[in-house]
Amino acid sequence: MSGSQDRRDMLKLSGLGIAAGVMSGIGAGVGSFLTPEQAYAQAQPTSLLRTVLDRKKLIVGTGSTNAPWHFEDEKGQLTGMDIAMARILAAGLFDDPTKVEFVKQDPAARIPNITTGKVDIVIQFMTVTAQRAQLVAFSRPYYLEGVALLTSTKGKLKTHKQLLAAGKAARVSVLQNVYADRMVRAALPQATVMQLDTEANAIQALDSGRSDTAAIDLSTVRWLVKRNPNAYLDAGYSYWPQLYSAAMRQGDPDWLNWVNTTFAVAIFATEAEIYDKGLEDFFGQKPPVRKPGFPPI
Amino acid sequence: MTYHLNFDFVWRHFDKLGWGLVLSLELAFISILIGMAIGLSLALAYTGGGRFTRGIVAGYVEFIRNVPLLLLVYLVFYGVPSVGGFAYDATTSFVITLAVYAGATMVEVFRAGLAAIPGGLIDAGKAIGLTGWQRLLCVRLPTMFRIVLPSLSNAYVSLFKDTSLASVIAVPELTYGAQWINTNSFRVIEVWSVTAPMYLVTGYGLLFLLQRLERRFAVH
Repeated sequence: MSGSQDRRDMLKLSGLGIAAGVMSGIGAGVGSFLTPEQAYAQAQPTSLLRTVLDRKKLIVGTGSTNAPWHFEDEKGQLTGMDIAMARILAAGLFDDPTKVEFVKQDPAARIPNITTGKVDIVIQFMTVTAQRAQLVAFSRPYYLEGVALLTSTKGKLKTHKQLLAAGKAARVSVLQNVYADRMVRAALPQATVMQLDTEANAIQALDSGRSDTAAIDLSTVRWLVKRNPNAYLDAGYSYWPQLYSAAMRQGDPDWLNWVNTTFAVAIFATEAEIYDKGLEDFFGQKPPVRKPGFPPI
Repeated sequence: MTYHLNFDFVWRHFDKLGWGLVLSLELAFISILIGMAIGLSLALAYTGGGRFTRGIVAGYVEFIRNVPLLLLVYLVFYGVPSVGGFAYDATTSFVITLAVYAGATMVEVFRAGLAAIPGGLIDAGKAIGLTGWQRLLCVRLPTMFRIVLPSLSNAYVSLFKDTSLASVIAVPELTYGAQWINTNSFRVIEVWSVTAPMYLVTGYGLLFLLQRLERRFAVH
């Protein structure tokens, strides 16, 4: 009798095990057909990830006057690499890269708009610094930028060598920013520095003869020189590598982790279409070949 | 998220705010002096001139008073050199702009002051044989200044606040100093909560001094 009982118990247990396995398989199968919205975040109820999904759109703080990062095309639509990064996030949230609302802001408003909750995330050519990291949470970097010197074809000082030789007489316009003075002096130790409120005005200062060179992003110099060869020159000196990341409010690990994951997948793996197109359109660069095997991150 | 106040960076670089305040006062003082000269000349031209002169003066006043000061700052700083104008530094550019801006306000102030001079005083001057210039220098102008002192006080305090716009063209006055501290420390609340009272206390102090001057020279 005990032998039969043992066999019945074993059969019952096996049957339960098989049933559990089948149910799990069905569950996994159903899960794999769910859209990101339907799968729903398992984030904390207070996480911004949950809030953004409920809202069904992402609110991004960015600028509109700095090509190739964020600027308006001929139709008045925002475009640029920062815009592309925002669309990567929207695609990851809603399967729709257009579900983004852009809040145009001055560079000076990048941190205040995050800390006051006016925007979900700031993607606005923001240099990662230790001081800023005390106030906001930075995503993983999405670009390594440099600084270069834009000069005018009408100016007397056209090359880095000429600017260096001019000493104090060389006038440099730059966006008022952390490290602005140090950054300029790293290239032109004796130059007179003019820190202006926007990068557009730093270029305007060059146009109007108020400065001999504008110390701006390397990618912006390349962009302007390529499109306006009769007006601008690259002084031939680039330096000051800086990491560009998106910024978010501190204290929300679920949101930060999600953004980092989405950026990593877009830059290094399978969802690279928008990122690669941005690299090509805005910087004229092709990404390196993504080889399977040891992960680069 | 709780924000933790930290004023260390602001106090470490308070010299930028202190010297910036001094420059703001200087900018306002120089601009109003030049503005008063412009305003008085044009007010006299307006009251004594023909239709053409009055038209020119009115055009200047309407243009300046209806265009935002920020636009004028950009126009003079970027626009004038662009069309091949003369070169000058940012501080000079701002003083020129603010003086021209002040001049438009002063034209109206002095014009009203000249109109408010009792006719009997001018007649008395004629009666004792004063020439036109003597009546202007000894009767009209001294009386006019006493009448317009309250308006001048308000204009000076207003121009002092307007010097904050010099920050957009990198003139190192008070607001520019505060912006420098802000961009280098990102302590937005701390820096502006120190700078705003500096404007308030200084403006109030100026008003207090000017009001004492008004009481001393008031027309009774």
